[in-house]
Amino acid sequence: MRVGIPRAMLYHHYGEYWLQFLETVGVEAVVSEETTGNTITTGAVHADNETCLPVKVFSGHMLWLKERVDVVLVPRVVSEEYGMCACPKFMGLPDLARSLTPDMPPVLAPRLDMGDRRYLWAREWYDTARALGGSWLSSVSAVSGLLQNLYHHHKSLVDESYEKGGLRVGVAGHVYNVYDSRVSMGMLDRIRKLGATPVTIDEVQHNNALANARTLSREIFWGFESKLAGSVLHWSRTASVSGILYVTSFACGPGSMVGALLEDQLDRERSVPLMTITLDEHAAEAGLVTRLEAFVDMLKYASRAHATPSADGASGGA
Amino acid sequence: MNITVPKCGSTEYMARDMCSRLGLGFVQAPEYSERTVELGVTLSPEHVCFPCKVLIGSSVEAIELGADTIMMAAGFGPCRFNYFAEIMRRVLEREGYSFRIITFDGPRDAPLDFFRNVRLIVPAANKGLAGMARDMTLSLRKGWAFDEIEKQAMAVRALESEESATDKAIAECLSVLDAARTRLEIDEAREWIADRFARVPVDLERPYIKVGLVGELLMSIEPYFNFDVVRWLARHGATVERSLHMSDVFTPLGRNPVLGYNTPEINKAASPFLCHEVGGHGHISVGATVQFARRGFDAIVHFFPFTCLPEVISKTVFMRISNEFDIPILSISVDEQTGRAGMQTRLEALMDVAWNSKMKHEERPGSSPVVAPRDRVPL
Repeated sequence: MRVGIPRAMLYHHYGEYWLQFLETVGVEAVVSEETTGNTITTGAVHADNETCLPVKVFSGHMLWLKERVDVVLVPRVVSEEYGMCACPKFMGLPDLARSLTPDMPPVLAPRLDMGDRRYLWAREWYDTARALGGSWLSSVSAVSGLLQNLYHHHKSLVDESYEKGGLRVGVAGHVYNVYDSRVSMGMLDRIRKLGATPVTIDEVQHNNALANARTLSREIFWGFESKLAGSVLHWSRTASVSGILYVTSFACGPGSMVGALLEDQLDRERSVPLMTITLDEHAAEAGLVTRLEAFVDMLKYASRAHATPSADGASGGA
Repeated sequence: MNITVPKCGSTEYMARDMCSRLGLGFVQAPEYSERTVELGVTLSPEHVCFPCKVLIGSSVEAIELGADTIMMAAGFGPCRFNYFAEIMRRVLEREGYSFRIITFDGPRDAPLDFFRNVRLIVPAANKGLAGMARDMTLSLRKGWAFDEIEKQAMAVRALESEESATDKAIAECLSVLDAARTRLEIDEAREWIADRFARVPVDLERPYIKVGLVGELLMSIEPYFNFDVVRWLARHGATVERSLHMSDVFTPLGRNPVLGYNTPEINKAASPFLCHEVGGHGHISVGATVQFARRGFDAIVHFFPFTCLPEVISKTVFMRISNEFDIPILSISVDEQTGRAGMQTRLEALMDVAWNSKMKHEERPGSSPVVAPRDRVPL
C-alpha cells in the first residue's frame, strides 16, 4: 500500500516523524514533489478561493498525490503545545482535503493533540497503523516512537550566539511559508545576496520565545503564533537583529492578528523596524525584491548613521 | 460607569436589562451604518477580519456617546474573535480614547479571570455577587424570549395575510416583554408571545419554501450586514430559520433553548462532513445545515465575513453536503466592499433554484400547480 503525505503545511513541522511512523508500520510512503508554480495554480483552482496560500499549496499537493497513492495521511493537528490550540485550518484540514474533488483517495486523519495530556489521541494513531496493515507490535512501536519524537520536538538546544557587527535580519513567518522556497520565492537566499544574514525563528530557543510571549498583556493561544511572536519579541529585546521581516500569507487569520499585535508592541517598545510581507498566489518576484532591497538598504543606512557619531559600534537599532 | 457591549442581536437587550437591574449606566451603540464601517476600516489593521473592524468602529461611536466601559467576551479557542478585545484595546488606546475594556473569558476556561472581571463591576452595582448572578440569569431568560420573538417572526412573516401583521405582533410582544421583571413574569411573557404569534393572521393556502440561514454570528444576525435578508426572503415567499441566536451562545452547556437542538446533537449531525471543532461557529453551521437538509428545507443561505477561518472550512464542506442532500447552498462572504446588487442577484438565483425544485416535487396530476410568489406579486 502506498501512503501519500503532501509536502505542505505541517509536513514542514512534523514530516520526519510521520515518515518514521509509516516506516515503522511497514508501508511505503510517498511524499509529494517540491512545490512548483503548477502546484500552486492547480491548488488555487480547486481549493476554495478564500483560503490562505498554504491551503492552496496543500490542495495542489493533494491533487498531485491523487493519482499516485492508495491513501493519504493528513493528521488533524489540534494543538501543538499544552494550553494552546492550532489554527482552525489545521483542525479542518482533513475534511477540507476530502471535499476537494469528489474522487479523492481515502484520507486518514488521526488526531495530534499535544494539549491533551492524557494522550487519548494516541489511540487514533494506533488504529491508523492497524488500518494500514501493521501488526500490533509494529503499530505500538510506531506510535510510541511518534510520541517520543513529539515530546522532544521543542526540547533540542539551539545555538543562539551570534557574532556582533554583521547585519542580521530576523525572518518571522510560518515555517511552511518561509522554508518552501517556491512559496517564499527564495526569500532567505535573496536576503543573503543582499549582504545580510537571515535568522529564522527556528534559531530561537523555544523556552525563550514562550517566556517572551507570556509578557504580552493577553496570551496568544495559537501554538505556532505564540512561538512566532515570542521570537520577534526576543530578537527585539536582546537587540540581536537589526530589523524584522514579518512574512504572512493573505487571508491568514492568526497571522493577521499577531501581525497587528507585533506592530503595535514593537512601536510601544520603540524597537527595531518591522516590515510585513504578505504572500499570495499572485505575488511577483520583482515586487518582493524591491521591498527587500529597500528594507536592507534602510537597515544599513540606519546602522551606519547609528555607528558613526557615537563610534562605539552598538548593535543595530533605529 | 457607563457600559456598552458589542451590538449583535439580543446582546444589547440583555445587557441593557442587566444594567437597569444593577443600577449601572448603559450606552446603546448606534445602529450600524456606513459611518461605523468607515471608522472601523480606517482605524483597524488591514488584515484583521471584518467583524473586528466593525466592532472597533461601533466602540468608537459608543465612546463618543459617553460610554467609558466596553464589555467584550473572549475565550480560549482557535477563532480570531478571542483576540478582538486585545486588538480593540490597542487600537483605541493608540487613537487616544479614554475607556476601560473588560474582557470576559468563558467561566469554564478561566474561572478565576471571570470572577475577577465580575468583581470589577461589583463596586459600581447596587447588589452583591449573589444578586448579580441571579440578575444575569433573569436577563438571559429575557434574551431567550427576545430571540423567540425573532424566531417566530422569521417563521411567520412569509405567510402573513395582512400587510405588516408580523411587525405589529413584534411590537406588542416587545412591549409586554419590556415590562416583565421577575422570573414568573418573564415566563408568562414567553407564553403570551407564543400565543400572540399563533394569532397572527396567516394565509395557509399560499405556497412557501423553507430557507435555513447559517453562518457567522454578526453577519447572519445583524440585518445591516446581510442586507436584511430575512425580510427579503419573506417577500420571496420563504419562511426562514436561523442557526444562531445570541442568547443560545450565552447559555452555558450548549443547551441552545431557542434553537431547540443542543450542541452535541448538532455536532453529531455534522460529523460525517466535519468531525472536529474548528472554532467559532463553523461546526454549528455545518451541523445545522445538515439538520435543515434532513428536515426538508429547500435552500440554505450562508453568511460569513471575508476570510473567516471557521466558516471558510464549513464553506468547503458545504459542497459535499449540497451533493449528498441535493439542496442548494449559497455562501456569501461579506466585507466593507460588498454591494447590495451583487448579493441580490445571487439570492434571486438561489430562490429560482429552490422554487423550481419545489414545483417539480409538487406537480402531481390533479393538484393545482405551485406558483412562485415572484411571478404573482410584482416586487
